[in-house]
Amino acid sequence: MSITAIAQNLKAPEVLPSYAPADDEVMIFEHAYRNCLPVLIKGPTGCGKTRFVEYMAARLGLALHTVSCHDDLSASDLVGRHLVNASGTYWTDGPLTRAVRHGGICYLDEVVEARKDTTVVLHALSDDRRILPIDRTGETLEAPAEFMLVVSYNPGYQHLLKGLKPSTRQRFVSLAFGFPEPAREIDIVISETGVDHTIAKHLVTLANALRSTADHDLEEAPGTRLIVDAAKLIATGCPPQTACRAAIVECLSDEPEITKALMVVVNAIFAHS
Amino acid sequence: MEEQVGIAWHRLINRLATRRYPDEAVALSGISTPVGILFRALGGDHGVAIQAGGSILNHAKRSLLERLAGSERKVELACVDHQALQLPAVIDSFPTQRLNNELYLWLAALSATSLPPQQTWLARNQNATRLIIQRFPGMAAIYRRLVAAEILRRGPINRLPPDEAQQEQAIRDALREPGSISVLPHARRAHQPILLWLRPDILTNASLPPQKNKDQASRESSTTQSDKKRRMAEYTEMPERKGGLLLFRPESIFSWSEYAKIEHEAQENEDEDLAQAADDLDTISITRDSRNIAKKLSMSLDLPKAASALPPLNDGKMLPEWDYKTRTLKPDQCRVNTIPLTDIEPCALPEHLKRDQQRLKRQFGALQPVRQRLKGQPEGNDIDIDAYIRHISHQNETENRFYLDHRNRERDLSCLLLADLSLSTEAWVGDNQRVIDVIRESLFLFAETLTTTLDKFALYGFSSKQRTDVRFHTLKAFDEPYSDIVRGRINGISPAYYTRMGAAIRKATETLARQKTRERLLLLLTDGKPNDADHYEGRYGIEDTRKALIEARQQGLRPFCVTVDQEAHEYLPHIFGKSNFIIIRKPSELPARLPLLYALITR
Repeated sequence: MSITAIAQNLKAPEVLPSYAPADDEVMIFEHAYRNCLPVLIKGPTGCGKTRFVEYMAARLGLALHTVSCHDDLSASDLVGRHLVNASGTYWTDGPLTRAVRHGGICYLDEVVEARKDTTVVLHALSDDRRILPIDRTGETLEAPAEFMLVVSYNPGYQHLLKGLKPSTRQRFVSLAFGFPEPAREIDIVISETGVDHTIAKHLVTLANALRSTADHDLEEAPGTRLIVDAAKLIATGCPPQTACRAAIVECLSDEPEITKALMVVVNAIFAHS
Repeated sequence: MEEQVGIAWHRLINRLATRRYPDEAVALSGISTPVGILFRALGGDHGVAIQAGGSILNHAKRSLLERLAGSERKVELACVDHQALQLPAVIDSFPTQRLNNELYLWLAALSATSLPPQQTWLARNQNATRLIIQRFPGMAAIYRRLVAAEILRRGPINRLPPDEAQQEQAIRDALREPGSISVLPHARRAHQPILLWLRPDILTNASLPPQKNKDQASRESSTTQSDKKRRMAEYTEMPERKGGLLLFRPESIFSWSEYAKIEHEAQENEDEDLAQAADDLDTISITRDSRNIAKKLSMSLDLPKAASALPPLNDGKMLPEWDYKTRTLKPDQCRVNTIPLTDIEPCALPEHLKRDQQRLKRQFGALQPVRQRLKGQPEGNDIDIDAYIRHISHQNETENRFYLDHRNRERDLSCLLLADLSLSTEAWVGDNQRVIDVIRESLFLFAETLTTTLDKFALYGFSSKQRTDVRFHTLKAFDEPYSDIVRGRINGISPAYYTRMGAAIRKATETLARQKTRERLLLLLTDGKPNDADHYEGRYGIEDTRKALIEARQQGLRPFCVTVDQEAHEYLPHIFGKSNFIIIRKPSELPARLPLLYALITR
């Protein structure tokens, strides 16, 4: 996999992405940035972690280098590697090195999924040394004040074996994200999709109903992203029940018995018109 | 001839009398999944089991035909407590399947709605209804249809005497406009049961009479009959009388409800008779005596729980226990005795398992840690010359994978297998095997497999006799080689007593947490839910086990449960979590499937 495929180098956008703060996370993030501290964001799937980082990058006027971690992501995918072309070998920076060289936020999404050797690279960057040694080129880069490391992970117990080691975890300022309060989530759904208040309210009721079955009937609770998707379908004219089935229920389970039962919950909330 | 006439009469009168629609019936067993999910989604407690509930007596006036047919004497109403949501086993009161189906959904929603406990039955039902209608428009539509059907079912109001008509009118108003009626007008006769509402409360705070015999656990094993209806129950004192039938008035079935513990040694089909009689009772009185019917039938009883203020124990290896009612972890609640089983004759692997052993050795040899050479890597110690030549000849700029890499595919894993050795494993599965035999063979083949993969493993078994004696049998410790001595111990396992799962899991967690491997798997092999001969049963045992597993996860262990209990889907999702257990449909397949399962979850 080429490096460009795993890293998206977004330039700082002129417009702020919409983000409704839940608490004081914006303030904490800004303080962490000012003090050159790395930030760890934990929270369930689809609760707005990535959106928050995008928002903060835009707010602070920083470039954002996002890396979605997967179980085959190694240290050199982050740092960079030598490539070969017709005239010989040449070095390419990975997304982490690029962020350290030029400043900006390097955001490692779902960091626990990455291979163990990546933590070694992160350790030197996340304590007060703030250096990135690149042994292949013999360089040691010192991170500028504009560089910030942000990692996120989903602490569900099913990932417990893949949890962060305490030695890694204790280097970060941590923010815990949960699903938004119903009133705030309704506002989010409306502002993202433009559906009317009743639809948004029903969708949020549905999401919270399904969240209370998680762990027992569902492996993972539905995130805000799922109901925003359903709202988008409804906004363009899709009947609510159909939208919920396609965008929420079928995304949560593959077992016909469970999806059928979840549709009962959908029908309990959306009356047939 | 006489009998045939009788049967024909019974059928005729039943058909005439019935206010039910058997062709449109909906059974709980068919829709328990959606009902359960809806109950939990709308706020119901996760630990509450969904069960077919027992009926209560219908005190309302029945028509002459109904009295002739003996029908409608019992009525099934829903109710919920901290143990179970009880719903009718079958609903056929409404003329269409859709309505009967929707009644289940409605009752689930109604039971899921929590209200302050001090409200009266009348206020609770109306307030809960109002809340649901407000919050869930889909349920509101269902409710409107059900109210129309229910009022139609309740028959014309003008045929009733004035006081009853007034009461009936109030009920109908309460159904149509929930919240509008604060007091039900008094009438001499009880009103017809309201199918859309939860059952009026039953007494649950009866005191527990003194216990007479203590050590009776081992006697109550023999047959268990699958009978899942819950029945209302209360404790009463058993009169000290030898001929139990003396008080029995043959003309009245009600007498059954007085003393159901009769001389059961003598009769042949006693269990069936008792099951049938139990259905006819409105309240089963259990005596705290040597052998009782509930144990014999293995049915779930709504027993008022004895207050369990047990003093902590203070000798031996003590473990805490979780009390879900007070939400506290009570220290030093049970004593665990580790039994090493050293005085056992060593033995070899049984002949009939040798073939399986050979097959597993072949299959699982592939899981041994080996050094692998990976081609076409973006980096590595050697150059993959094939890939480089391909690159040069094609002038392909984007191709950059021409290294060879060596990697150890390591399995840094230890596994502790904990087998349930309670008396219930003595039950027969199939013609020539008991559950314990299946577990024994599974242990043999599992051990053979893990010896092949070179994973670290330990085997333990457990049983319990109340909280003072939780037995933790060492079959193979982690630092012990798998030898004929271990095989001898596996061969020697035998069923005993009960299943205090929480304590056994805590003990196993302690042992496994000492292992230094990266992954630590706690595998539980069982045939039923947690229970013991004291207060450790039902919700208490389930919640304690759940708590023990949460503690295990916090220590970084990975618990997984393999069960042969076909009803396990009722409680295991709550205990282990949705994806951390598997139910083996055919117990006899367990020995062969366990190693494959192990491979799957440790991949």
